[in-house]
Amino acid sequence: MAMTTGRHTGAAAHHTVEGTDPGLNVVTAVPESPAALPPVLLIHGFASSVELNWDKSGWIQALLEAGRRVIAVDLPGHGASSAPEDVDSYTPSRIRADLLQIASDAGARPIADGHPDSGLDVVGYSLGSRLAWEFGATQPSLVRRLVLGGPSSRDPLAEFDLVAAQRFLADGTPIEDPSTATLVSMAQASPGSDMYALLSLVEGVKEEPYDPGEAVPRQPVLMVAGERDERVATIERLRELVPHAEVLILPGRTHVNAVTARAFKHAAIEFLAQS
Amino acid sequence: MAEIPFPLPDLGEGLIEATVLEWLVAEGDQVERNQPLVEVETAKSALELPSPQAGRVLKVYGAPGEVIPVGDPLIVFEVPDDAAGIVGTVPADGAPTRRVRLSANLDDD
Repeated sequence: MAMTTGRHTGAAAHHTVEGTDPGLNVVTAVPESPAALPPVLLIHGFASSVELNWDKSGWIQALLEAGRRVIAVDLPGHGASSAPEDVDSYTPSRIRADLLQIASDAGARPIADGHPDSGLDVVGYSLGSRLAWEFGATQPSLVRRLVLGGPSSRDPLAEFDLVAAQRFLADGTPIEDPSTATLVSMAQASPGSDMYALLSLVEGVKEEPYDPGEAVPRQPVLMVAGERDERVATIERLRELVPHAEVLILPGRTHVNAVTARAFKHAAIEFLAQS
Repeated sequence: MAEIPFPLPDLGEGLIEATVLEWLVAEGDQVERNQPLVEVETAKSALELPSPQAGRVLKVYGAPGEVIPVGDPLIVFEVPDDAAGIVGTVPADGAPTRRVRLSANLDDD
């Protein structure tokens, strides 16, 4: 069996968003036996990529085997996407607009009664879950179901000490804030990452900090996190906003290694197969 | 029958070891080529390793939490003699390739 069947990169159509080409790398994958269900949009986390978060972790293969069409996007400055110099390209609102255009170009259509493959299911991880939360809340006619992996009600990037990070990169001055230090080492560990683009993303996020209460998704929501994820406790705050949400905690898993867990994939695939 | 050992492959990025998170196959299982074998975590990320070949799993190395250096034994397959070729070599249908090609250039397809 050829595992590469039906896989290709690049959307069929290509559009600018508000007059500029976002230059984002889009990976689409088509199953051999498609289910009568919407495509699944995958949004990766900070300092990750489609390759790390969704491909090498086994998500794309698992979704294809479940008959799901996959649309995955490298965020600006990540993976094979371009790394613009202007901070505006990295603001969450701009990224959501880009994702909407990409999903539409890849064939996602608004939810229509009697068309079980209409709409769009969204799976996010970490920062991708913040974007998925807002995307679902602001696109109720398109987004059908949401899976939020490693979510947080607070935005670790919004509290990021940008000045300390820049000083550290310039001359090695140690970073005092532990959260900032962790994020910088994550970014440095990320293969082929563009540190200055990642800092631009942080700036963009600081301009539009996460406020989950501002727009709340009405869709069915599944939240999944590792038991040892330092943000796991904040799921309760999100759950107050979406009392209908299902929650799965993965025993022994951390924010990094919850991504590959079979229990996570199985729960997400089962949840997204419901009508 | 022939035994084919498969060491922990070079994971790139200068990584020298990986921690076993969870085995997705058990000794005695018949597996297909590219079927996910094991979940591991490196210093940089967590990933699934696909099977380099079809065969029956004879032995797996490393319980969850154990660290395996790159190049050390990970799994041993048992395959029929006519499918084995020289023990330790990859069968004729070639090495597993990455499952999704990533490209920023939309025109090079």
